[in-house]
Amino acid sequence: MDPPTKAQPQSNDSDSEDDYMKMTFTDDPSSLTSTSRPSQPETSLQRRQRERREAEARSRVKSKAELAAEVEARREAAHATSLLTLASSSSSKPKSKGFAMMAKMGFTGGALGTAAKEGVKDDRVVEPIRIAVKDGREGIGLESERKRKLHEAAKTAGEATKRARVDEGEYRERMRREREEARLERQVSAAQKVAEGMDDERTERDAADEGREEREEKRREARKGRGISSRPLKSLPVVYRGLVKAREEAERDRRMRHDLEQSLSRLPTYEDDDEDDDDKQAMGKPQTQSTTYVTADDLDDEDVELNEFNALPMAERLQRLVEYLRADHHYCFWCKFVYPDAEMDGCPGLTEEDHD
Amino acid sequence: MMADKGIKRSSMDNESSSDPKRAKTDAKYNKYLAHYDDNDAQNGNGFSSPLDQLQRHKTTAEQAAKCEDSDLNPWTGQPHSQQYFNILQTRRNLPVCQQRKEFLEMYHKTQILVFVGETGSGKTTQIPQYVLYDELPHQTGKLIACTQPRRVAAMSVAQRVANELDVELGQEVGYSIRFENKTGPKTMLKYMTDGQLLRESMHDHEMSRYSTIILDEAHERTLATDILMALLKQIAERRKDLKIIVMSATLDAQKFQTYFFGAPLLAVPGRTHPVEIFYTPEPERDYVEAAVRTVLQIHATEPEGDVLLFLTGEEEIEDACRRINLEVDDMIQESDAGPMRVYPLYGTLPPAQQQRIFDKAPEPLRKGGRPGRKCIVATNIAETSLTIDGIVYVVDPGFSKQKIYNPRSRVESLLVSPISKASAQQRAGRAGRTRPGKCFRLYTEKAFKKELIEQTYPEILRSNLANTVLELKKLGVEDLVHFDLMDPPAPETMMRALEELNYLACLDDDGELTELGSRASEFPLDPALAVMLISSPEFYCSNEILSITSLLSVPSIWVRPNNARKRADEMKQQFAHPDGDHLTLLNAYHAFKGAEQSGADVKQWCHEHFLSPRHLMSADNVRAQLKRIMETHDIELISTPFQDKNYYTNIRRALLAGFFMQIAMRESSNSKVYKTVKDDQLVMIHPSTVITSPYDWVVYNEFVLTTKQYVRTVTNIRPEWLLEIAPVYYDLEAFDKGEIKSALTRITDKIRRRQAMKGGA
Repeated sequence: MDPPTKAQPQSNDSDSEDDYMKMTFTDDPSSLTSTSRPSQPETSLQRRQRERREAEARSRVKSKAELAAEVEARREAAHATSLLTLASSSSSKPKSKGFAMMAKMGFTGGALGTAAKEGVKDDRVVEPIRIAVKDGREGIGLESERKRKLHEAAKTAGEATKRARVDEGEYRERMRREREEARLERQVSAAQKVAEGMDDERTERDAADEGREEREEKRREARKGRGISSRPLKSLPVVYRGLVKAREEAERDRRMRHDLEQSLSRLPTYEDDDEDDDDKQAMGKPQTQSTTYVTADDLDDEDVELNEFNALPMAERLQRLVEYLRADHHYCFWCKFVYPDAEMDGCPGLTEEDHD
Repeated sequence: MMADKGIKRSSMDNESSSDPKRAKTDAKYNKYLAHYDDNDAQNGNGFSSPLDQLQRHKTTAEQAAKCEDSDLNPWTGQPHSQQYFNILQTRRNLPVCQQRKEFLEMYHKTQILVFVGETGSGKTTQIPQYVLYDELPHQTGKLIACTQPRRVAAMSVAQRVANELDVELGQEVGYSIRFENKTGPKTMLKYMTDGQLLRESMHDHEMSRYSTIILDEAHERTLATDILMALLKQIAERRKDLKIIVMSATLDAQKFQTYFFGAPLLAVPGRTHPVEIFYTPEPERDYVEAAVRTVLQIHATEPEGDVLLFLTGEEEIEDACRRINLEVDDMIQESDAGPMRVYPLYGTLPPAQQQRIFDKAPEPLRKGGRPGRKCIVATNIAETSLTIDGIVYVVDPGFSKQKIYNPRSRVESLLVSPISKASAQQRAGRAGRTRPGKCFRLYTEKAFKKELIEQTYPEILRSNLANTVLELKKLGVEDLVHFDLMDPPAPETMMRALEELNYLACLDDDGELTELGSRASEFPLDPALAVMLISSPEFYCSNEILSITSLLSVPSIWVRPNNARKRADEMKQQFAHPDGDHLTLLNAYHAFKGAEQSGADVKQWCHEHFLSPRHLMSADNVRAQLKRIMETHDIELISTPFQDKNYYTNIRRALLAGFFMQIAMRESSNSKVYKTVKDDQLVMIHPSTVITSPYDWVVYNEFVLTTKQYVRTVTNIRPEWLLEIAPVYYDLEAFDKGEIKSALTRITDKIRRRQAMKGGA
């Protein structure tokens, strides 16, 4: 016969007594005897000891908290298991007669009743209403989170083997969000380019007051600035500073790669300790380390303002850019039009929706 | 008919005059009124009446109003009392009265009508009367039924309408509720609980006694109303002469319209004022505390107007009342606040005390002092069903107690749960009945939007359906799976109900009603109780089981006031039977009957013994009703002689015939924890029990989950009885492995050994 009882699962393992309790009362009676002589039945002494210990375990009075936790866990476990899955599962137990009767009436799963007419939302229930025990007098909004987690834990424990179905709706929602984010990102970089271009143009216009030569030079400089400029990044408006910074970083990388490809073997700045001056000369390296990369002074500096800006959500960044363009250039990103004055008469509004 | 025109003309002619005597001269062309001038008229009522001019389903609002205005009561022929005319005046001022014409026009045209009117619009009292003047039941012999979710409402509304029609309650207007029928052969308009109409239809599937059925308070979506709606939907197809009105107090009536083949809707605009809603900025740590604080703040700072506070249950309400009273006393002394009277309101409160909520607010303490106000602390019965005028401030913590049954664990819980958005709106609306009001919600606006469900779950989704399924089977509904309910229950709930009825032998394996099931459905009881009652003669104690069943069908007979708990417990101890609560109930009932027979002052006796005379008397009444049903079904009423040592044993065994599915076994030898059979839930015996010995096996009447899991009303039993009385349920092959199975297996072995020994000897 089976051992009559097994120990109750203990909810806390901190007690020192728990050790022996855990060790002894396993489901499998062989584990008890296997340590001594596997094939032999337990002796009367062993049996008495075992029974005594089992009785002790049973008689140990549980604390109120332990008991409450066990009561709740067991209830939640019961509530997390559908009777329908129990009834239709191929267990050795005879199937539920209630289920058989319903099957006879034509029940094939899903909800009871008749389906709603087309166009009407079908809100028939498939599962019983969940019971949520509220203890204490916490107001609405305080308790719900904790309860939800507890229930979910019980449910996952109950259905550990079953793979949770991926919610189709949730998947779609996520995809939609991701696409929207990507679209916004493209718009942000487009707006940044516009802003930079317009700022540059303004610089040129300002220069027009001065001599033509100087203007030529400025333009050259500006064009050069498109490559790698020596003006400090922080002087640029934060809204498109990221764009410039990314471009400069890319440019620096490109040049470094280029230099590397041009050099004979290694990066020209590489210092080999084994080489002496003669070797260096032979390799065509200058004696002194003069090769440096001229980049914006503060390209590697920590830029708090920019980090903050980049931490903003994509939509917010776009909004800031649109506002910048409107304020500084009377340009509406959505109309794609430069208005003559700050009134911006004719522009329907700030947002993309306004332009629909 | 030729006469029709004459009638119509005569009434048209009379439009300008309200003098009914003029009608006489014009009406003499009418052959039905040939005896109008003689007082011994020959028509159906035995007297002449202005009703004779009306034609069924053609009555206009003017015609009906004229009948109401006449000196003689058109229904009885008696002169109208002065009180009648006084009431008539107030009736004419009800919002619904403005729409009488519109209502009748619509009613004439359609078979099913959805009517929306807020509480206080007068729909419950007036619409049935409007129908009365149109259906003219004295001609057809068919009744008008108006259902109510609550017994008290059915009784009080019937009384009110009887007064309005100037007739005696129980004659032309009557009511019928479970265990009480106050109707007579003359009854034309019958208020009844929805459950009662459902029971009636078990014997009259077509509801052929009625020409019109009005389902009132349909928005409450009680179990019985939901079933009735599904039945009426079917009957309406078969009986085109049956008219149906579905009345709701909330504006979400579209669901009803869709459900009833797109029935037309008539709405009476409520007489409501705007209500300003306030939310708390943060969730509350203690909603009772917050509620008390809010009430006091209103009292200190807001202008005159009464306060309505919603809480969840008796204990909480009494606690809040006490705290508010204490604080207000301080406020009066310290800051010259006005007086405030605080009234509790909950279902189990005696009716006299419930009435006190209609008392006027107290006068200022001195002339010119700050005005007094009343504060009503109520459960959600004050949400829709009750109209209290003068409420300007509503405090809503957002909770109510809800009954929820879960078929997976078979736990029926009565839990404090967040209300629905619809409920919250109803509650707020209570503040705007007399003038613009304010509603203080003790939760954040975000919580309102995110945490509250849209609509309260209808009862059918929250109940054990064993009784309903039995009723439906009796009603001839074969296909329960596709039965067209507005909100069909979860499949598991249905499955459990069928399974339980099968174990109770009320349904066979094919789902057909058995002989026992058919008999059980005759009793207005849960199937387990009915089966127990029907089987009780086999245990030689049907008298006693009948008493116990009655006692279990009424609210608790034990009174335990807060200030005299100890005395009350001592008194209960006098009736205690060591084997359990069922037997203790029986002892108390016998003592009550003894006191009654000895001619003692029963009320006094009950008071001394901390028993509720009201509930004992209603148990007595229930017993008489059930006894009548038993007699008509030839169920023997027998008792084991009291001297017999098996007197109580027989009763304990008889309990198992119905309640073998409600058994708990003690977990271990020194534990107070029990485990329910098959469901494996851990429970404690409710502290109200008289049991002191740690019995290993008990039968329980109910499994309640409040904050703990309890079994209540518990009696000690022997496990071998289970194997004997309910062998199918206790078929050990079908049991899950575990302590209960092992224990039962040991007992089976023991029985087998004993029998073997007997056989060998």
